[in-house]
Amino acid sequence: MQNNHHKERLYKILVIGDLGVGKTSIIKRYVHHNFSPNYRATIGVDFALKVLNWDQETVRLQLWDIAGQERFGNMTRVYYREAMGAFIVFDVTRPASFEAVTKWKEDLDSKLTLANGKNVATVLLANKCDQGRDVLTNNGIKMEQFCLENGFVGWYETSAKENINIDEAANCLVKHIIANENDMLQSEVLDTISPQLEKDKGGTCSSCFRSQ
Amino acid sequence: EPLSTTALILEDRPANLPAKPSEETQRHKLEYEEMVAAAKRREMKEAQKKKRQMKERHRQEDIISNAMIVWNNEILPQWDTMKGTRRVRDLWWQGLPPSVRGRVWSLAIGNELNITAELYKIFLCRAKEKWRSYSETSSVNDSESDGGASLADRESSLDLIKLDISRTFPSLFIFQKGGPYHDLLHSVLGAYTCYRPDIGYVQGMSFIAAVLILNLEEAEAFITFANLLNKPCQMAFFRVDHDLMLKYFAAFEIFFEENLPRLFTHFQTNNLTPDLYLIDWIFTLYSRSLPLDVACRVWDVFCRDGEESLFRTGLGILRLYEDVLLQMDFIHIAQFLSRLPDDLHTHTLFNAMAATHMLSRNRRWAQVFCALMKDGGGGNREWGERSSSSSSPALRS
Repeated sequence: MQNNHHKERLYKILVIGDLGVGKTSIIKRYVHHNFSPNYRATIGVDFALKVLNWDQETVRLQLWDIAGQERFGNMTRVYYREAMGAFIVFDVTRPASFEAVTKWKEDLDSKLTLANGKNVATVLLANKCDQGRDVLTNNGIKMEQFCLENGFVGWYETSAKENINIDEAANCLVKHIIANENDMLQSEVLDTISPQLEKDKGGTCSSCFRSQ
Repeated sequence: EPLSTTALILEDRPANLPAKPSEETQRHKLEYEEMVAAAKRREMKEAQKKKRQMKERHRQEDIISNAMIVWNNEILPQWDTMKGTRRVRDLWWQGLPPSVRGRVWSLAIGNELNITAELYKIFLCRAKEKWRSYSETSSVNDSESDGGASLADRESSLDLIKLDISRTFPSLFIFQKGGPYHDLLHSVLGAYTCYRPDIGYVQGMSFIAAVLILNLEEAEAFITFANLLNKPCQMAFFRVDHDLMLKYFAAFEIFFEENLPRLFTHFQTNNLTPDLYLIDWIFTLYSRSLPLDVACRVWDVFCRDGEESLFRTGLGILRLYEDVLLQMDFIHIAQFLSRLPDDLHTHTLFNAMAATHMLSRNRRWAQVFCALMKDGGGGNREWGERSSSSSSPALRS
């Protein structure tokens, strides 16, 4: 049962991108604060839970770490359902993994939209930045421009190994998810405005509101 | 006997301090003696425990060496007539001695495909040629930020194999670059992609090939690998044949409900569909999620009983952890099942598997599966489909 007095938000977040770009490592770093060069390849999907304090609220992030092989695409795409945000990860030392980013993004947007028709918040992670920045510098790509064109809400050079920018990227994603949610909540209120709802509005979080 | 600091307890206070009252001295003496006695008792207990463990280990070793004699002298020479007997099947369930394990696996899996060591060499040569030309073209194309050729090759498996090998049993440190089995694993997987270009390399294969390499010599490992993947269940999964995989999941759920009704309901209310954990378990035949020694025992049974045993193992795991799982919500169950406890023991898992009955209303696994295949559409729910409600319980927990 939902408890109206206790504010808690729960979000499903996808972590996608080519095979071996470091999705599992990023999650391990973010959730367990450690790094090992020896993670096993992910088969299917792995899970992790991160609990955050956010403006006196508890935010629980369900992280879905999805295997990167293209072949599994049809199989794992059903896991996109109901996600509120996503990280798309590439490996800065492997150009091909960057080329795949647009493919992952298009795929995500075509399979998943929010209730208001918008795409889910997606942050781009340029991982393994401790090992050089080949892709970023050689291609002369303006990352800001790339993000704008492809609908990313932000991008970060990350290193799961050196713990660079992981928390920052996650905070950015959570910020956008919450903003999206508030947006939807507002438009929902406008759509279905009624005295009763108006009165209750103050004390409920978005998910309680929806389940009423 | 007390040494150094502990002995100080018995000493009086330094002269510049008032002396201890005699009751206190007495009490300290008693306390000290009690401590010494407790330490002795602990030591005794430890020693006894060690003795018991040694005894158990010796017993296990005896069992294994006896079993080894039986397998080598009696069973293997007359494999075809012996393999189905009650006695052999019982011995088999108790675990194959490591020294005959590979041999029994390869006999049990067979060689329907009639692959020879020579054929393996041919495919291996082809793979090596491909690697060579691949590395040449990709270095040429490098400046053009990956030409079309390498893009087309993205899914051609070579890259993927390289990336996955080092992530196969990483804790053993033998398959990584520079490790003793790195090249071997590379060869077996590469040769397979040349042998079956229609399937290519699929994640999960590296784990299966690795387990075989640990138990068989190179060509034999390849032959067994190819034949193992050719089994209907493995073919369905490695071809990523959705419809067929769904049938397997549906059959699994029938036995799940039959065996563990409470947990089944709990999983359903939490929307925890079997694909979420079975994909990993089936693709790697449990070698990724179970400790390696336990996984090998599971493989023993798989070689004896076929695909049915894979689902029985899954149910055994769920039975083993039923009490814990019943207390968990969606994300914790999902997390738990994707990383099973390291201290999972073979005998507890096997007890749970033995308690799992692969009978549903008098139908065996194969019959249940056939029935599902026949009625086609029925029960053909797409996995991950979140029942009728718009918001999933998984996200409400």
